Amino acid sequence: MVLSFKSWFANEGGKHFILWLGANAWLFLRTFLTYSTGQQYYYLYKMLGLGLCISRASASVLNLNCSLVLLPMCRSLLTCLRGTHTLSSRGTRRLLDKSKTFHVACGIAICIFSVVHVSAHLVNVVNFSAFYSEDLPALNLARYLGEVIPGITGVLLVVILFLMFTASSYCIRLSNYEIFWYTHNLFIVFYIILMVHMVGGALKYQTNVDTHPPGCLRPNQSSPELQGEELEPGNEERRCKEEARFHPHYPQTWMWVSGPLCLYCAERFYRYIRSSDPVTIVTVIRHPSEVIEVRMLKRDFKAHPGQVVTVRCPTEEKETFGVHMRVVGDWTERFTELLLPKTGVELEILPMVQQRRYPNDGWKQFRLRRLYFVWVCRELQSFYWFSELLCALHHKLWQENRPDYLNLKLFVSQTEDLQSMSEEKYRPLSSRLSIGRPRWKLLFDEISNANRQKHVGVFCCGPKGISRTLHKLCNSGRYTGVTFEFNKESFS
Amino acid sequence: MGKIEWAMWANEQALAAGLILLTGGIVGVGGMFRGWEFAAYSIAAGVFVCLLEYPRGKKNKGTSVERTGQYCFTVCVKAFGPLTRNYYVRAFIHAAIAVPAGFMLATVLGCVCLGIASLIYLGAAISGEKWEPILPRTETRKAVGESIKQPPQNPPPRPPAEMRRKRAEDLEGAAYDNPIKVSTNDE
Repeated sequence: MVLSFKSWFANEGGKHFILWLGANAWLFLRTFLTYSTGQQYYYLYKMLGLGLCISRASASVLNLNCSLVLLPMCRSLLTCLRGTHTLSSRGTRRLLDKSKTFHVACGIAICIFSVVHVSAHLVNVVNFSAFYSEDLPALNLARYLGEVIPGITGVLLVVILFLMFTASSYCIRLSNYEIFWYTHNLFIVFYIILMVHMVGGALKYQTNVDTHPPGCLRPNQSSPELQGEELEPGNEERRCKEEARFHPHYPQTWMWVSGPLCLYCAERFYRYIRSSDPVTIVTVIRHPSEVIEVRMLKRDFKAHPGQVVTVRCPTEEKETFGVHMRVVGDWTERFTELLLPKTGVELEILPMVQQRRYPNDGWKQFRLRRLYFVWVCRELQSFYWFSELLCALHHKLWQENRPDYLNLKLFVSQTEDLQSMSEEKYRPLSSRLSIGRPRWKLLFDEISNANRQKHVGVFCCGPKGISRTLHKLCNSGRYTGVTFEFNKESFS
Repeated sequence: MGKIEWAMWANEQALAAGLILLTGGIVGVGGMFRGWEFAAYSIAAGVFVCLLEYPRGKKNKGTSVERTGQYCFTVCVKAFGPLTRNYYVRAFIHAAIAVPAGFMLATVLGCVCLGIASLIYLGAAISGEKWEPILPRTETRKAVGESIKQPPQNPPPRPPAEMRRKRAEDLEGAAYDNPIKVSTNDE
């Protein structure tokens, strides 16, 4: 498929990966060159060679990524930023929506560079002993402090990273989320150990480069190329004025990591405080296909797009927010049992009041001109989850003389056992229902023909197959004049 | 907390540990460190562990997600029967494989990680979990097209004989005009 540069740039080029990759590459190269060409590391480099440069360069990249990895997880802060007017450009909002992807990218970088770092240090340990320096005894690896503390903390760090990484695969998150959650919370132990990792001063730099230029001749040494000849006056400068002195590096990781760590701890504390406020359940509705809708009320809370709600289970005219949840695992089953006890049990069920509020005339303030809502379900019953909302919206828009604002397209993918939505009140839905999977190319053709020279935002929430197809279509060059911006959401 | 399937996590850990053993072994052999024989052993051990752990087992509840191209590995691992099905055996095998790797600095990390995986497998075994292979479902199609292939054996049913018989008492009503003129062969 031919790529359109304009579409590709809108979808991929704006990604922060390029900036992040550039920052990592620059940091790696800069540190590498500092250690390979820096005067203060001359003797150390002679002893350890490439292993020194690679281990230090990967360490600085690790510092950067360990500090960046926490920032996308400050969800309350990101929600706040997303809503402010200063950062209300679409590009920035899309960037903030990709925070989870960025977190994963930093995590993978941490794992890769840990492998590089450990391998390089293994080579360093061998070289420290193989090239033990009699001339510069201060440079050698101090037996206790320099070897044991970084060694043991390093092993512990890798073990924690191993536990976190193996529990974060898609399969584990899908089936046993608790393993992922509890191992990931070991991050605090990881960061504490990381900050003491460099204590011990294994790596030293030379402090007196001006008085002892690296490579200078010692008083009892003679220059190899002037053997047997008298030293000329000019060569006096090549004599060392004093012995080389070395000083261990101070641990620097705390400078990188403490800011984001404090920010994230504040975020967790804020979430904990907010979660202590009780939530009132206003309505519970049981929909077909094992779905329940729960509408809730919380003090000082208004639902905004892009927010993440963590639900933990124990009228007046207020705005409720709600979640639809599919009852699949043990948590959702227990939650349903608590809210909707099975019939036959003698319990008093209090009457619940249903309240629905939609924006009354607030369409004009949004830049959205038209909405195509494409919904693909396996069974017909699933459409009942949001049937009331969709029909109400449809009627409201017809009455406001904006029939083209909302274009509904419903698809039932399972073609056996045909049924129809026979209720008269769901007529707008049943007349827009098609059997079989949607043909995305035709849909995109239709949308691009009807919306020339416009920006079309595509929001996909669904399985990877559909997401990939849509992403490719958005990037293809078929639609001249129309830019399709691809966005996706995943909840695992 | 509901019923957690520990074996799935142990499988991820063992696969990662196999890769760590492999990497540590390559570094140890490549740098010709002291004790490089242990590094060579851990390369072989890493490859073995990766091959054993690559095929994911079937989940008790819900859909199982296969790893790419794992079918041939599933068949090989399944062939060993109870040796690979039982997680006690796997825990013991991993613990035994991990021990020699602990004698060299380059591979000690692989040893520790495989040891942790072995412990989690032991926990899974105590919980009563077993390794079940993910095999492709044999699609049982409904035999819809079968009846179309065979032509009908019998002619369609005819109305009863009295309706078919020409009504002799009503010759006028039974008569009809031939649309084509009827002529004999002489003409």
